[in-house]
Amino acid sequence: MRVPISWLSDYVAVEMPLADLVTRLSVSSAEVTGIERRGVPDSDGNLGLFRVGRVLEAAKHPGADRLQLCQVDVGEGDARQIVCGAWNFGAGATVAVALPGAVLPNGLTLEQRTVRGQLSDGMILAEDELDVGTDHSGIIVLPEAEPGTPLDDVLPLVDDVLLVEPTGNRPDLLAVYGLAREVAALFGLELAAPPGQDPEQAPDEPVGIEIEDEEGCPRYVARLFYDVAVGPSPVWLRARLFAAGLRPISNAVDVTNYVMAALGNPLHAFDYTTLHEGRVVVRRANAGETLRTLDGVERLLDPADLLIADADRAVALAGIMGGEETEIADSTTEVLLEAANFEPTGIFRTSERLRLRTEGSNRWEKGVDPHLAGQAATLATQLLVETAGARWVGHSDVQGAMPDRPVIRYRPECADEVIGISTSPADQVALLTGLGFDRQGDDVIAPTWRARDVVREIDVVEEIARLRMDEVPFTLPERRAMFGALTRVQRLQRRVEDALAGLGLVETYTPSLRDADADPGAWRLPEPISVELAVLRTRVLPSLIDAVRRNLEIGGAVRIALFEIAHVYLPSNDLPDERTHVAGIVEGGWPRVKGVVDALYAALNAEPQFTRTEDQLLHPGKAASFGAGVVGELYPGLIDGVWGAFEFDLARLAEEAPDEVKFEDVISYPPVREDLAFSVSEEVTAGELVDAAREAVGSELREMRPFDVFRGEQVGSGRKSIAFSVVFQSAERTLTDDDAGELRARIVDAFARRYGAELRGG
Amino acid sequence: VDAETLKSEALSAIAAASTAAELDQARVRYLGRKSELALALREVRDRETGMLLNGVRVALETAVAQRREAIEQAEVARTLAEDVVDVTLPGEELDVGHLHPITQTRREIEDAFIGLGYEVRYDREVETVDYNFDKLAFDAWHPARSHRATFFFDSQRVLRTETSPSQIHALEGREPPIYMVSIGRCYRRDAIDATHFPIFHQFEGLAVDRHIALADLKGTLLHVMRALFGPDRRVRFRTHYFPFTEPSMEPDVSCGICGGEGCRTCRFSGWLEMGGSGMVDPRVFENVGVDPDAWSGFAFGCGIERVAQLKYDFPDIRPLWEGDLRVLTQF
Repeated sequence: MRVPISWLSDYVAVEMPLADLVTRLSVSSAEVTGIERRGVPDSDGNLGLFRVGRVLEAAKHPGADRLQLCQVDVGEGDARQIVCGAWNFGAGATVAVALPGAVLPNGLTLEQRTVRGQLSDGMILAEDELDVGTDHSGIIVLPEAEPGTPLDDVLPLVDDVLLVEPTGNRPDLLAVYGLAREVAALFGLELAAPPGQDPEQAPDEPVGIEIEDEEGCPRYVARLFYDVAVGPSPVWLRARLFAAGLRPISNAVDVTNYVMAALGNPLHAFDYTTLHEGRVVVRRANAGETLRTLDGVERLLDPADLLIADADRAVALAGIMGGEETEIADSTTEVLLEAANFEPTGIFRTSERLRLRTEGSNRWEKGVDPHLAGQAATLATQLLVETAGARWVGHSDVQGAMPDRPVIRYRPECADEVIGISTSPADQVALLTGLGFDRQGDDVIAPTWRARDVVREIDVVEEIARLRMDEVPFTLPERRAMFGALTRVQRLQRRVEDALAGLGLVETYTPSLRDADADPGAWRLPEPISVELAVLRTRVLPSLIDAVRRNLEIGGAVRIALFEIAHVYLPSNDLPDERTHVAGIVEGGWPRVKGVVDALYAALNAEPQFTRTEDQLLHPGKAASFGAGVVGELYPGLIDGVWGAFEFDLARLAEEAPDEVKFEDVISYPPVREDLAFSVSEEVTAGELVDAAREAVGSELREMRPFDVFRGEQVGSGRKSIAFSVVFQSAERTLTDDDAGELRARIVDAFARRYGAELRGG
Repeated sequence: VDAETLKSEALSAIAAASTAAELDQARVRYLGRKSELALALREVRDRETGMLLNGVRVALETAVAQRREAIEQAEVARTLAEDVVDVTLPGEELDVGHLHPITQTRREIEDAFIGLGYEVRYDREVETVDYNFDKLAFDAWHPARSHRATFFFDSQRVLRTETSPSQIHALEGREPPIYMVSIGRCYRRDAIDATHFPIFHQFEGLAVDRHIALADLKGTLLHVMRALFGPDRRVRFRTHYFPFTEPSMEPDVSCGICGGEGCRTCRFSGWLEMGGSGMVDPRVFENVGVDPDAWSGFAFGCGIERVAQLKYDFPDIRPLWEGDLRVLTQF
């Protein structure tokens, strides 16, 4: 919402520094996102060089067919000669004049000059040259005023426009008058009466209004005008609309926009002669009904849409946009003015469905005060009479159940409790009164324009809180219970992050939504914003493969290694099963990626168990599953070169990682170390042998690490030799050579029995 | 033989030796088996002479040992002095990992709240309309319920639009007092630009206890903003509107670029918007069966990308989602 200070000043005296105004409004009322300074530079008496002038003589320039030579009285006694390119005026016109030396809004300084042999001692101004509009088709013709009057008295030559963005609960601030009311309350100033005065003689002729849906339209004020002379609005009105960001069109339309900006009640004007039988019916659309709106679009309506119709057909989409067939044209002389009230939800739904948002719908969907319609009709009437010479001939005000002002039981101590600062009951009443609230006994009565927003005690407390916001101290809660700590899984996640980063992997984040997922049951958005962000992933690894490819395209990175920790979304009935996955990808083959997983487990004091597995992203011969997930060489060709990858479930890792680490006595008694090599058939894995040894020996087998595997003639075909470094150690006694021999024999026996393994060199 | 003369002659020879070989020569000459001293010792017949000569032998042996150590030390020093590297050359090239800036920021946020006694929650990202909107008291017409703002799977299920559903989960999870901060991904149908991505991270705080006041919210966010941005920052609150808080406010932190004077970063206001906050609306308490007369609380939410962008001063968040190592290895 653009609020020109010059307009705001009609309703409240804006004399405080602009910065104070902006800060107070931002803190207590509505965000001010900017201030726009517009118009003529206000320095060194520049404004004094802009005057009202009267054209005394105007004739064709003797040396140029397209120019006029004018004598203009600017209140100096002698007239000034000014050459002008516009023809929309003649002798007697009151015009806006800039004198030589004047600096125009575009920064240029006007100088006395000679045009085709004739002195031009000033400039007659058009709207765009003063930055009060965009029109350059002719110069500004002012209403009658004394020549020499400072132009600033007639037009806002310099203005500041506040860019105000009220929140959705404050549609009352989407109006210059509403904002003025807020400013008056914040600064303790006098607020002018609402603008608009009905002519003394009101017509008694009714207008035919039928409201079929009082819920959707609680009120409809219709006023009928004859003898309307449609034409451009006066320059002051055009300038105000322009500054407020609304495009001037014609007086009849401009008046509706002006009233909307001034009071916050959107209006609509119909060409009365186009309404069949002169009737207005407010109803829901019929199935299959269509309406061609002002923007030229033929719209198929839904039975939920609220319409303005005449005797036969839809003529407007209530509150959102008028129809093309009934709009005001240059030839219009009879105008039916609508000052209605529409219920927000329906307007919101229709505007959503049609994807059609307008200044009107934006206000209605937030809830406009139904009591406002009367004042809006009054201001519009005054302006139509003044600016279009209209004659007011008919009037109707059809009302359904108008909402009462909310009566709220209010305890002032409640504000102190919630806010944490004391405000005396008397001070609270003073603050509330300034905002239009009344105090009656134990109750507070909210004003009509806040009736949707302030209905509970806590809502009244908010009014006090926002006005005292800057005075509220900074304290901390008085704690009685609760201690802060990460959960076990959260701590584990940090350890995993640190371990992987420590192993040289760079953490990355990739979108949880992808173009596709290997799981046909993956959750898919019916209306994605792009094909790339459409399906919730069930694995993280494919995103990391993409990230590696991007880095390879960029080039320059060596030994790429990435990891990510993120949710995956596994298909499930009501809601997807969201698991936290850890995935990584490293340049290099199986040994490197296996080393990463081994090191990660070691960092967590856990021992993984690996078994061969298959995974569509991994090399079929170099893929393993372990307790929490899978690890392997990336399937050849997915990315150029040899890559390793892993992906596992964090919660499952947490099940494997020991809760607590217990000291083992490795100091009191010496270990016995020996290397043992066994020949076994190819299909036996080192892991199986280690498991079997542990089972056979028990806790006195402290360590058994495979350190060499070889195949060759000595071992025989179909067999391999695996060498282990073995450590026997007891926590209770010194192991003798005989003890160690006995333990070794258990291993040899077990291996021979279960795997047909032979101890080599034994 | 004159013991004293021999001794002084030998000591000077030992002292003069500057290499191990010279010292050895001196040792053989004065202490060797055929040395004058050795011969004399062999011939000693009286106790007095024996003690005297033995004293000389001990003195010479000590001197040789000391001299040997000195020569060896000098040689080590000489060798080391020649073994010089260019210390500016890089060391062995090890792989260096990095944590993503969002992770680093997340941890700072968590640590600030843990210090205040909060627990940390990570909740689900696919939510029901019930948790994402209804229980948080969003009006039927609230724009966030629009398909233009929110990712819907169907009429009942959405990608959460903020971390606020965690408030409901926390309140349903147990009786107050509750002090929690929820962190995670959120989703909105935002067009992608330098400061918007349809997926983003938020942290959401909730404190529910006896007699919690708006002043406590102000103090808590002041603490957290200073923990994140430094002890000199100021915090102000502007009135705002959110469905699930009343009163509602937006916190601003003073601009770190200009110190509050006004600059391009803060759009010449001196303040940076940091999110939303307010006192928990009684309707939310009623929706989860907590007595609003017995308990009160505050809640707030803030974008983590926003915090990270201000902390690390990056102009565009899009590269944070692309795994671009040129970007990620900076953090």
